Amino acid sequence: MVLLELFWSFLLIGFSSFGGLSMIPQISDQVLSHGWMTAEQVTDIVAIAEMTPGPLGLNCATFAGMQAAGIPGAIAANLGALTPALTLCAVAAAFFNRFRESRIMQRILVGVRPACLGMVLAVLVNLAGSTYLKQGTPHYAAMGIGLLDLVLVVKCKVSIPVVILLSAGLGLLLFGVLGIPVSW
Amino acid sequence: MNIYVTEVGYTSKVGKYGRLLLDFIRFGCFTFGGGWSIIAQMRQLYVEKQKVITDEELLDLTSVAKSLPGVMIANVAMLYGYRMAGLLGGLVCVFGMVVPPMVILIGISFFYNAFRSSYWVMAAMEGMQAAVVPIIAGAALGMVKGSIKYSPCVLVAAASFALYTFFQVSAVYLVLMGVAAGLLIGEYYERKGAGGHGAA
Repeated sequence: MVLLELFWSFLLIGFSSFGGLSMIPQISDQVLSHGWMTAEQVTDIVAIAEMTPGPLGLNCATFAGMQAAGIPGAIAANLGALTPALTLCAVAAAFFNRFRESRIMQRILVGVRPACLGMVLAVLVNLAGSTYLKQGTPHYAAMGIGLLDLVLVVKCKVSIPVVILLSAGLGLLLFGVLGIPVSW
Repeated sequence: MNIYVTEVGYTSKVGKYGRLLLDFIRFGCFTFGGGWSIIAQMRQLYVEKQKVITDEELLDLTSVAKSLPGVMIANVAMLYGYRMAGLLGGLVCVFGMVVPPMVILIGISFFYNAFRSSYWVMAAMEGMQAAVVPIIAGAALGMVKGSIKYSPCVLVAAASFALYTFFQVSAVYLVLMGVAAGLLIGEYYERKGAGGHGAA
């Protein structure tokens, strides 16, 4: 019963949101009203979901599912959150595959691509602000890691997993061993 | 699609699905900072290294994924998998991408208080956080060329950036704006092209 409720709640969340932080209010409503998590846990899980790999929505689903009904709960909640991708998006994929070569679709995409690029750039600026400025103060150590990574990714074509692991190592060195303060 | 299959040396269908599964499991392990870093990883592997798809095609998949409800990276995985190997391919990609974060988070949820308060975990996490922006920036830089076919596309990108940043306009409306702009731009350049021929 709890499993069905978890599935259904996250299915509703999935269909009524467009990913990322926009899912938080809905997730919060659902898990609080069912008593699966406390408000404090919601805040914590958002922080953890942002630090661990994987999308925020699915990480919240896993965590809420675990709190409510253990591992089966986590699986039920994830399946709910994935339902839009498995249904609506599968239909869209079939449709898109069929029409992507058509002349009208090619025209449409000429305008859609820059719109998408604009969104990526907006996300970048926003993320850069929250990563490299802590309460308005420049976070020089993080900026240093970021600049090094930029050179590695763009110039040296180092693979992304390697860059992430290297940055984790640098984090351990700078913030752990050398004790450079960060505002966590 | 065929280049991919022959290049890697897989001729069987199982090999194709297995390859997609392994790729997406790896993406899933290193998807930090939301859905955009999976786009960066896919770009590095499929556009730069294996040249299976172009920047334009990756942007197309991203736009469709972003304008559908649900978890964006699951949508991207479905769209890419479907494109490469049909519905089963899509399911395989979604499954591969979802499992690693789920397993990791199930592990963390057992001792999340210890996790949250560990000095060393936080230090490593802070380092990884600093890597997210350059990783996405690298992908975005690479995609600039593919997204600007005609000069008015710059205006579309600027408008989308401004609306998303300052007015929190939903991605759905921005993609719709792109659709309208694309139709107008296409019409304009077609007429101009035809006119040019007539005049000459």
